[in-house]
Amino acid sequence: MIRGVIVMNDRGKPRLVKFYEFQPAEKQQELIRSIYRVLCSRAENVSNFVKVDSLFGQDVRLVYKTFATLYFVFIFDSSENELAMLDLMQVFVETLDKVFSNVCELDVVFNFNKVHTILEEFILGGQVLETNSSEVVKTVEEILKMERAANSIKVVPSIPGWQGR
Amino acid sequence: MVYGIYLGLGLMCFDVGFALEQLKTIGRELAMSSQGGFGQSKEFLDLIKSIGEARSKAEEDRIVLREIDTLKARLSSPNITKFKLKEYLMRLIYVEMLGHDASFGYIHAVKMTHDESLLLKRTGYLAVTLFLNEDHDLIILIVNTIQKDLRSDNYLVVCAALNAVCRLINEETIPAVLPQVVELLGHQKEAVRKKAVMALHRFYQRAPGSVSHLISNFRKRLCDNDPGVMAATLCPLFDLITIDVNSYKDLVVSFVNILKQVAERRLPKSYDYHQMPAPFIQIKLLKILSLLGNGDKKSSEQMYTILGDIMRKCDSASNIGNAVLYESICCVCSIHPNPKLLESAADTISKFLKGDSHNLKYLGIDALGLLIRISPEIAEQHQLAVIDCLEDPDDTLKRKTFDLLYKMTKSSNVEVIVDRMIDYMISINDHHYKTEIASRCVELAEQFAPSNQWFIQTMNKVFEHAGDLVNTKVAHNLMRLIAEGFGEDDNTADSQLRSSAVESYLRIIGEPKLPSTFLQVICWVLGEYGTADGKYSASYITGKLCDAAEAHSTDDTVKAYAVTALMKIYSFEIAAGRKVDMLPECQSLVEELLASHSTDLQQRAYELQAIICLDARAVENIMPMDANCEDIEIDKNLSFLDAYVQESLEKGAQPYIPEDERSGLSTSSNFRSQDHESSTHALRFEAYELPKSSVPPKVPSVLSSSVELVPVHEPSYVADVPQPATSALTVSNSGSSELKLRLDGVQKKWGRPTFSSTTPSTSSSDTFESNNGTTRHESISSTKSKVHDVSYDSRKQQPEISSEKQKLAASLFGGASKSDRKQSYSGQKVSKTNSHGADKSDLIKAASSSDTAAVIPTSQPPPDLLDLGEPTVTSSAPSVDPFKQLEGLLDPTQDTTKLSSSGVSVPNAPDIMSLYADMSLSGQSTTVANPPPNAIETHLAKQPSKGPNVQEFLEKDALVRQVGVTPSGQNPNLFKDLLG
Repeated sequence: MIRGVIVMNDRGKPRLVKFYEFQPAEKQQELIRSIYRVLCSRAENVSNFVKVDSLFGQDVRLVYKTFATLYFVFIFDSSENELAMLDLMQVFVETLDKVFSNVCELDVVFNFNKVHTILEEFILGGQVLETNSSEVVKTVEEILKMERAANSIKVVPSIPGWQGR
Repeated sequence: MVYGIYLGLGLMCFDVGFALEQLKTIGRELAMSSQGGFGQSKEFLDLIKSIGEARSKAEEDRIVLREIDTLKARLSSPNITKFKLKEYLMRLIYVEMLGHDASFGYIHAVKMTHDESLLLKRTGYLAVTLFLNEDHDLIILIVNTIQKDLRSDNYLVVCAALNAVCRLINEETIPAVLPQVVELLGHQKEAVRKKAVMALHRFYQRAPGSVSHLISNFRKRLCDNDPGVMAATLCPLFDLITIDVNSYKDLVVSFVNILKQVAERRLPKSYDYHQMPAPFIQIKLLKILSLLGNGDKKSSEQMYTILGDIMRKCDSASNIGNAVLYESICCVCSIHPNPKLLESAADTISKFLKGDSHNLKYLGIDALGLLIRISPEIAEQHQLAVIDCLEDPDDTLKRKTFDLLYKMTKSSNVEVIVDRMIDYMISINDHHYKTEIASRCVELAEQFAPSNQWFIQTMNKVFEHAGDLVNTKVAHNLMRLIAEGFGEDDNTADSQLRSSAVESYLRIIGEPKLPSTFLQVICWVLGEYGTADGKYSASYITGKLCDAAEAHSTDDTVKAYAVTALMKIYSFEIAAGRKVDMLPECQSLVEELLASHSTDLQQRAYELQAIICLDARAVENIMPMDANCEDIEIDKNLSFLDAYVQESLEKGAQPYIPEDERSGLSTSSNFRSQDHESSTHALRFEAYELPKSSVPPKVPSVLSSSVELVPVHEPSYVADVPQPATSALTVSNSGSSELKLRLDGVQKKWGRPTFSSTTPSTSSSDTFESNNGTTRHESISSTKSKVHDVSYDSRKQQPEISSEKQKLAASLFGGASKSDRKQSYSGQKVSKTNSHGADKSDLIKAASSSDTAAVIPTSQPPPDLLDLGEPTVTSSAPSVDPFKQLEGLLDPTQDTTKLSSSGVSVPNAPDIMSLYADMSLSGQSTTVANPPPNAIETHLAKQPSKGPNVQEFLEKDALVRQVGVTPSGQNPNLFKDLLG
């Protein structure tokens, strides 16, 4: 299963953190820091895989890839295939790029709820759910449409109700 | 039954262009409607900006703490609109992602999940799934909402609830939502069915018992007419099959059929990815099949055809195609072997290894590790590739290669492999991996050591560099080996071994920063055997020991070992009738220890003092030479005390009552509470444990007087104790007896059954040979490099295969079956040349001629290249040099191969890297001078459907600059080149 997905920038600042097994906040920070350290020490033009069994236990690996200023990291165990994970990451990023046209780091920072929505369509509970970028785009688009529709109807009447409580 | 299911499905057409167009409008709308341009408020923007500009962690923390204060104040104010609240929640998530506590806002997230609006509900769910773990107290407030949402008409609400279910429901709350989730397995929307399957799977992971009656649902969903749901079902089935293979053997036919349909492109086009039919489903199915076919001939036979098909059809130019290929290899290696499939697996592996991509090499090495278990001979043809990987700067690849070497170690190549491992171990800092490598070295050395000498040397190295990381058992093993020697009646060899050990330790002991465990071994060996061969004087050894004890004054264990070693040496001296004069530093050491805080050290020091004053005969009894090998008989009944007990009883002492009988009696109140406590199990509190320890000394009056039995510090005790030989031994020789005891159960693994007896005789010729080889090699490589300069782009050269490397290869891969290889020498030779490519045959010829020339004088059977594997070859000093030369050669040649990769035999596997490279920023990826043709194609294909929106692009750019989040990146637009 997939243990986690992390997006961080090239200075180690987390931009999206999702662990599929609960990790307390301090532990999360520690993991992010250690992963960042590992990634920094990697030379260019080497493989995209790193064994991280010292951080996550037996047989856990990560796949990482740099996209401009961002590191995308998938952490997973032996029930997944490294290359396939790399491609899944690719699909994920392509999808981000479709949803935010010309996605950049700030898109990920400000709209991380949307990024989470996209990620949820790909991976659920640590298992790969969907691998088709356009399918995900379709779903996400539908969600956004619904959300906006809900807003336009609800905005006016719901606010007083909320304040009244 | 599954066979025909997907036939009736139409193509799920999805107009990408349309979707993108729509998305763009959405994006624009969002951009316009929001103040910041990213759909967030100015405040959030400022927060991110200031954090981005923070110069230190402390400054960042200050900013975040201020933000937390703001949020706290805002959240507690009564007049707060829902949409403000949503934004605050997002900021909370952000703050928590940066590692700060946002627990004060959790309740707001929980409240938000109750909201009717999808946007707010989803935000609420997102927040709770990120904030809470499944055992959090607030979960109970959400369960109700989840229940309601699972029943919603809006499938997006249901999906949101299912997402939350996967993350938040624990064993206790499963029953609350289980019926609804099961119901959703039949939902009309496939997205919901998929998620319901996943949720059920999650329940199974959390608490297998809670859903054990529902497992049949997974089988049912396998026949779902949506391929996506079927694919989702493979995840839980994979887990289930991993746990219990036998219950799912009946599904082999179904899985094979599904795989067949997938491979034959019967699935809708939307499942295609990079022209591969549903590769992710294929991978999952292959994983499942490899489990089901493992060790099961009948099931395996059903898979052969489809596996062959897949491996034939797979597109090895794309990343995902290789992923499927790799998975097929894993499957082929796991199921009952089929020669034809193994052959194509071997072919694929060699393609992987020959590729330029590190990722492929990594997979190739991994797959090779699987394949050599079935057909060990395959390793040979990839030896050079493996060695290349071993030298590779990529750490991941290196480790993978070491994993492979570890798997293929045997007695013929153990020396080379362990040497390499140790070198690598020394070079790395990662504790975790260092420990792993060290323990592997030890394991391999114990299993395959060709000689004890080598074993000791290897252990020394391991201890020296990773002594604190290896198990102490290893140290005891080493001591035992030195003490017991070969386990044969060959005393001279044993004493040689010991002298060499002593010699090496005397050399090492002076070094600073030795690990404690290693020092213990050293002290023990020096104490036992330091003076045994008469080469070193007692004062020399004791001086060294004292230095060691002084240098490690904080380490009590080392000091204890050192003192005991001193004691042994002195007593051997006394026993031999020589006069002992203690060195002043020893004197001061002993005096220091006499006043030590550690009673153990004190006792040892007192013992030492006591023994020195004794005469030779007594000392000989206490400290017999080489006593550590004697089996210590333990008299559990303490029969030697019988007389004493009898005497005491006659004097009126109470008889000893064994503990079990004693607990039956309830004479004293003290005992009463004691046995009361032990007999009733219902209420047991830890605090009651205490009295127990005070009981034993109280009970037998006999024992209380027996303190006299250990009068270690009394100078006259030898005369008192009735049987000094045994008891004194156990007491004073405590250092060694302790070790002795811990050693039991350790299997003796080293030895010579697999050790080739020809080695010693050839060693002389080999050293000669290696000299010859290296000088030759130097000349070869120099000429090569000249040639290289001239005609380096004219053809695909591989001059890097030097004789040195070949030797390494030979020592790693050769010698599996030395004897039969010798007979088939000539045939082997030919195949070797072929496999390495004809263009370097001249080199091989040269190398081999040097070999034969070197060997002829000794009239050995003609060794092939593979027989060069001698430790002297790789460890000898001159061999280092050619490697360095080699490295200089390597780089340009790799460039050549890269440039000319379009030409030759290697099918375009390496293109994947460049394919990906075009995703990354063009400014950074200067290396990709000419992207491969298919990359360009995708480029072009994409452009018309989605042209770059210049306006938006610039806005973003400007904003990014202004905000300054990424001061290091010149171009903040991540995926510019994706769009052309």
